[in-house]
Parts: sequence; C-alpha cells; structure tokens
Amino acid sequence: MLRLLTLFLPTVIPSWRFFKTVAPSPRIEYRLIAGESLGGWQEDRPRPASLGVGQILCRMLWNPDWNEQLYLVSCSERLIEAPSQHSIDEINLRVARALPAGPGALQFRLVFLSRQGAQIVKLVEYESTPVSLASLQGASA
Amino acid sequence: MSVLDVLQKGLTAAQAMGLMQLLLSFAIAQQSLEHLARGDRMIYVPRLLLCVAMGLGFGGAWPVWGLWLVSLAMLWRYQGPYNGGSDKMTMLILSCLGLAHLAPTPFWQEMALSYLAVQLVLSYFVSGWVKVVNPEWQRGEALRDVFRFSAYPVSEGLRDLADRPRFLFVMGWAVILFELAFPLSLLDPVALKLALLCAAGFHFSNACFFGLNRFFWIWLCAYPALIWFQDRIFS
Repeated sequence: MLRLLTLFLPTVIPSWRFFKTVAPSPRIEYRLIAGESLGGWQEDRPRPASLGVGQILCRMLWNPDWNEQLYLVSCSERLIEAPSQHSIDEINLRVARALPAGPGALQFRLVFLSRQGAQIVKLVEYESTPVSLASLQGASA
Repeated sequence: MSVLDVLQKGLTAAQAMGLMQLLLSFAIAQQSLEHLARGDRMIYVPRLLLCVAMGLGFGGAWPVWGLWLVSLAMLWRYQGPYNGGSDKMTMLILSCLGLAHLAPTPFWQEMALSYLAVQLVLSYFVSGWVKVVNPEWQRGEALRDVFRFSAYPVSEGLRDLADRPRFLFVMGWAVILFELAFPLSLLDPVALKLALLCAAGFHFSNACFFGLNRFFWIWLCAYPALIWFQDRIFS
C-alpha cells in the first residue's frame, strides 16, 4: 500500500522539472550467447537515419515502438538509481520480443553517454546475467 | 461571431469538464491502442471501453473513476509511469475530474478544477525556471546536448542540429522565456488562448523532434480547465 502511495503521489503533486539538466543518457546493448560463443554487442532498436514528414505526422497518432523505447530508457535509469528485478525483467522481455526466435541466451548491458568537455564518452554501468532467449520469448508471447 | 469574440469567450465549469472528458477519451484511447499493439489486454481492453463510455457521455462519473483505477493499476504494473510526464498528466486530470464530479458543492468542484489549472500553469513555469537558473541552458549548451547524445531525437539525422549552436541558443531562450511568461497570459482571455496555441505548437514540435506524441494530446486535454479558471478568477 505504501509503495502504491509513493507511485501515486508524484502524479498528483508533480515536480514538472522537464530537462532540468541533460543527464548521462542510457542505451541498451545486447548480445546472444550460444554455449561458449559470445556474440558481439549490438544496440537495441537503433534509430533510423532519417524520418520523412509523412512518417513524423503518422507518429502523432501511432507511435507504440518509440513509446516503448522511451519506457526502456526509464527502466534503464531506474535500474541504476534503484536496482530492481522489475526493471531487469522488463528490459529482458522487451529486448527478447524484438528478436527472432532462437536458441541460446540473451544478455544486455547499459551504456551511458555523456559529454566531458567537447568529447562524448561512453560508460558501461550495468551488465545483466544471461537468460535463456526461448524462455523470455515464451514469457512475452 | 468574429474570431476576437471566440478568443474572448470563457467556459463554465460544466462546459470545461465536458470538453475535457471528450478530449481525454480520445487521448487515452490513442494511448490504449498503442499498448494493445504490445499485448496487456487485461488492462487496455477495459481502458478502451471506458474511454468509449466517457466519450459518449455514458455513466456520469463512473467511467472517469474507472479510468482512474486503471491508471493506478498501470502505475503498479510498470512500477511508475510508462511514459513519464504524459502518464502523470493523465492521472492528474483524471484525479481532478473525478473529484470535481464527487464534489458536494460547487465550491469544491471549483477547487478541484482550479488545482488542475494551477498545475498546468506550473508545468510551464517550473520547467522554465529550472532551465533559466541552469548555466548550461543559459549558454545554449543544454539543448545542444539534447540533440548531441540524449535518447530523445527520433532519428540520427536530427543530431546534426547540435552543430547549429546559434539556432539552438535562440530556440532554447525562446522556450525558456515562453515558459516563464506563460502565467502572465492569465491576465487576458485573448492572450491566454494565443499562449495555449503557442504551447500546443511547442508540444507539437516536441512530438516531431523527440517522439513525444502522447504529451501533445494529453496537455491539450487540460486546457479547458485553464480557460475556465481564467474566466472565473480574472474576468
């Protein structure tokens, strides 16, 4: 009950501090592991190079993929600020759902981008325990 | 009736509530359909049905409170908002609308709507204030960083805007000054309507650049409360 209250109160007494600072920004990278063979790290759902005006206008009404991506950004930030199994499960399930069915295990890591002087630096802040891809895809079906 | 007459017109509390429920039914239905594409039928099919009931005006306050309960379930399901500020605004509007329906007297109904109106003004003013006191925003660096490395730009091509510092400096200050000046628009009904039009344009550009489409629709839903508030307090 107390937990529900702590989730509810910020919605009716919001802080409205949008973009107060531009904090280090998370990216999710994943790799597939088959036995001893470790795949290379790949960015989850990379952005398109560009979007046309028509696509941008369509996204005003239909934007489920991007909104899920923003939710994953929230989960990544929460995982660093207040680690929880919920955030790990949400990232695992949603990354697995976007992948073709296959054997082996899925592992993800959180890379945070920030600016130091004129340089953009990448820092790996979290690496998950590998989980069977089939079981994740079964759970999200 | 001229355009000026339309811009000067206020809303009664009942009109504001009716208009908010209509806009809200569209905005929440849009969110729910996006979620349904991902599954979670247990939450989003009832949510969609409640939107239809609210949009058609069935059931008085019941669909509003039904949607409030579903929003609470969503907070639990995702252990926080799914879509940040837009989910917070959805819950805030539903809470204020629900309380306005439950209010035993017109005074308490007006208090519930006034709270929403004040929060809407704060959503702009506080956002402007936290930026204007931040040296990174004052120098225009913060908006460059948003485009340079944040998770928000919807395409890699948009990151090139980070190489146009003068343009982003001007845009950053335009946003800050607009957000800080927004409360002044309450002094005049025409100024308020024009400010809301600019604010809608601001949310539209955020939707185009950063994919924040849900913010656009849900912020529009709260505007009738502010139009009523301005008419009630300042006219």
